[in-house]
Amino acid sequence: MTVRLLFGAVVLVIFFAAPHFLAEFQLFQVCLIAATALVVLGIVVVTGIAGQISLAQAAFVGLGGYGPAILAARYGVPVWAGIMITAVVVGAVGYALGQLTLRVSGHYLALATMAFTAIVQLAFIHSDAVTGGAVGMQMPTLEISGKTFASGGTLYYVVLPVVGVLFLAVHNLIHSPVGRAFAAIRQSETAAAAMGIDVLAHKSAAFAASGFLGAIGGGLLGLLSTYLDPSQFGITQAVYYLAVAVVGGMQSPLGAIVGSAVFVLVPEFLQAFQTYLGLVFALLLLVFIVLRPNGLVSLASDLLRIVGGKQQRGAA
Amino acid sequence: MLAQVLVSSITAGAVYALIALGFVLIHKGTGVVHFGYGDQVTFGAYLVLIGQAFIGLRFDVAVAGALVASVLLGAIIYLAFMWPLRNASLLARIIASLALGTVLREFLRSYMGPNAWPFPFLLSSTSVPVGGVLIVPANLAIVGVAIAVLVALYLIFDRTIYGKAILAACENSTGASLVGVHVSTVFLLIWILASVLATVAGILVAPLLTLSPDMGLIGIKGFTAAVLGGFNSLPGAVAGGIALGILEALAGTYVSSALKDMISYAILIAVILVRPQGLFGELTLKKV
Amino acid sequence: MTSALLTIQNLTVRFGGLVALDDVSLDIAPRSIQAVIGPNGAGKSTLINVATGIYGATSGRVDYDGARIDGRAPHAISRLGIARTFQNTELFGEMSALENVMIGADRHMCGSYLSSAMHGPAYWRTEQAIRAEARRLLELVGLGNDTDVEAAALPFGKQRRLEIARALATRPRLLLLDEPAAGLRSAEIDELNSILLDLRANLGLTILVIDHVMALVMAISDHITVLNFGRKIAEGSPQEVRSSPEVIKAYLGEKAAHASHS
Repeated sequence: MTVRLLFGAVVLVIFFAAPHFLAEFQLFQVCLIAATALVVLGIVVVTGIAGQISLAQAAFVGLGGYGPAILAARYGVPVWAGIMITAVVVGAVGYALGQLTLRVSGHYLALATMAFTAIVQLAFIHSDAVTGGAVGMQMPTLEISGKTFASGGTLYYVVLPVVGVLFLAVHNLIHSPVGRAFAAIRQSETAAAAMGIDVLAHKSAAFAASGFLGAIGGGLLGLLSTYLDPSQFGITQAVYYLAVAVVGGMQSPLGAIVGSAVFVLVPEFLQAFQTYLGLVFALLLLVFIVLRPNGLVSLASDLLRIVGGKQQRGAA
Repeated sequence: MLAQVLVSSITAGAVYALIALGFVLIHKGTGVVHFGYGDQVTFGAYLVLIGQAFIGLRFDVAVAGALVASVLLGAIIYLAFMWPLRNASLLARIIASLALGTVLREFLRSYMGPNAWPFPFLLSSTSVPVGGVLIVPANLAIVGVAIAVLVALYLIFDRTIYGKAILAACENSTGASLVGVHVSTVFLLIWILASVLATVAGILVAPLLTLSPDMGLIGIKGFTAAVLGGFNSLPGAVAGGIALGILEALAGTYVSSALKDMISYAILIAVILVRPQGLFGELTLKKV
Repeated sequence: MTSALLTIQNLTVRFGGLVALDDVSLDIAPRSIQAVIGPNGAGKSTLINVATGIYGATSGRVDYDGARIDGRAPHAISRLGIARTFQNTELFGEMSALENVMIGADRHMCGSYLSSAMHGPAYWRTEQAIRAEARRLLELVGLGNDTDVEAAALPFGKQRRLEIARALATRPRLLLLDEPAAGLRSAEIDELNSILLDLRANLGLTILVIDHVMALVMAISDHITVLNFGRKIAEGSPQEVRSSPEVIKAYLGEKAAHASHS
């Protein structure tokens, strides 16, 4: 318990100290990493832990952005409320999508979720009156009790706490009977059902969680980029989020953070090679899925195990 | 009007059928569902373009060169990726095939630019009126090639000992090696064949669609056609392709051309849900 | 046989043209150890798969504790108190032995999603209880020293016992074992027998064992049913079954077939 408190205290100190050491743009990037990580956390839950491949994440992100923007433009709903309402609705959509898994798994599930993303993206493009069509639409500025949050420096105080709390909740969930049931379903559905686990309900719950997390992440990403471009919510982007998860490590929330940091920061270091960025990301995905399917996090834990193993032998 | 719509839709259907044949070939032959196949089709067309526009080859020589290059590509895909992943989880194999497609697409985007290129027709693209309906020879070629490929594959798989051995290799690798079939050689041949087929499809399809790195998204249509056909049946793939082409054309004409793609994706989801074994397939049972 | 725990009546199961079970009836009395034996392909596993909801019945019915269960979902049947093991072991391979058993126990103590996400004091209490229960069951089947070993890394004999521990964690009244002795050495079979007898004596469990070798089931069963090609060809006490001409024919026939092949 004291370890947890200490860890919490350190996190808080870093959280409040960071703005004094980082420039505005760097804070913006921290927010970008955090919001992307939240989107990818959805993939960690549904694909990494529960074993259900999903290419729906880009659609969830798109819905999470368009939802609050449309609610604000048409009905004057405050953005923060719009993001929350949308996330709950998208969570329900995710639950419904999860019901597909009653009849579909493996490559058919990949295909069905891919088709879902394609349909949602086409809906954004063809509903000109509501979404601005192919041109896209402006994301309204976040205002909470008269204060506006428009820059990296101010959004930092909103994005990081939200992402932090949700990561903590998911971490806890994974280390609970619910998370164990997800993992059981991934490893043997037949045995999981024989243990009394309602497989369909749990898969649907995992999809609901991925929808909820993707939508909140999409809302935050929208706030950061200030503009919603429908071309950002297609199958290509769905594969991109999957790539972030694979490279970071799909079986742990930490992997979502590590992967997002890599995919957000690498372009900064490769600014001279902007044209090759897509290729670099694609190659990263390919190399990792073949050689390191559990991502950078597994690399780190393997290193720790080697070091730890040496110490044990030294002690014995 | 309806007759014209149907005739035109058969071209689109044949395109889907060609790509669906590739999916089914790989799945039937090696047990892998290749999500990057659409991008391989695009890549094949680009190979011709590169030979023609950048190396300065004659069109027919460029086509021949592209076919040879796609043999290599197929071999590389199998030896470098699919063979090492043969015992990996289904999830890893799905992601790897997605990644392969993405690498091909992003390679083209990086080196050939994101914009569309013009691509020549193999045959005349001026339409000829036949019995009150306009027919385009180039489109007819696509239909012809799709049927020829179907017949060739059908003969190989269902009429030759070697083809039957391939199916045996996919069902049960120990059994296949007992009767003297080297499984990895068979798989290598399948990947090469599928890669050549992708290039053929790309060359036929590129002039119809716009040749850009994103042309590979056509793969999802080929996939839909394969699903309609039951994913394991070669004739099913062709029937599924034609059916999808007609459905799309009808939806585009009588409902809304903007909704055309949405309708075909909705059909895809509906078929997966209601008849996962496809319109022509049989259901298999999981054994515990 | 008035108040059987599990009653199978005129059960027929067809897959396409193949008849896996043909008009089979069976009663399992509470606190008994019963066996279903038969050559490979006799329909034994199908019987368990229908009783646990994996397959549906083509005709006939299965009743458990007074309620019809055929056609219900596997998890619902598990919650009624029927647990099973699998012929080819279906463990959660990447998890430790302890975690495998904890999954069986989870349902009895699991709180809501909310408490799972908050990790409050109630969560820690139940988590400790689940862990203790799982550890106790592992010791019961003789895996007390293997709690932290990954299930896939355990030797085969231990995997089979882990499956039994995991099944017990769901707190069943009826335990269905699908070929528990396959691939075990004779010393391991003796150990398994004593575990099963203990389970009945201490927990009051009813046990149905399925096997194609008679050695295991003869020693512990009260009652044996013999299937061949989906039909019931004999039943009774081990002695009765052993001397049944039908059974001898079925088994000798199989052996003769084997001999002519090899």
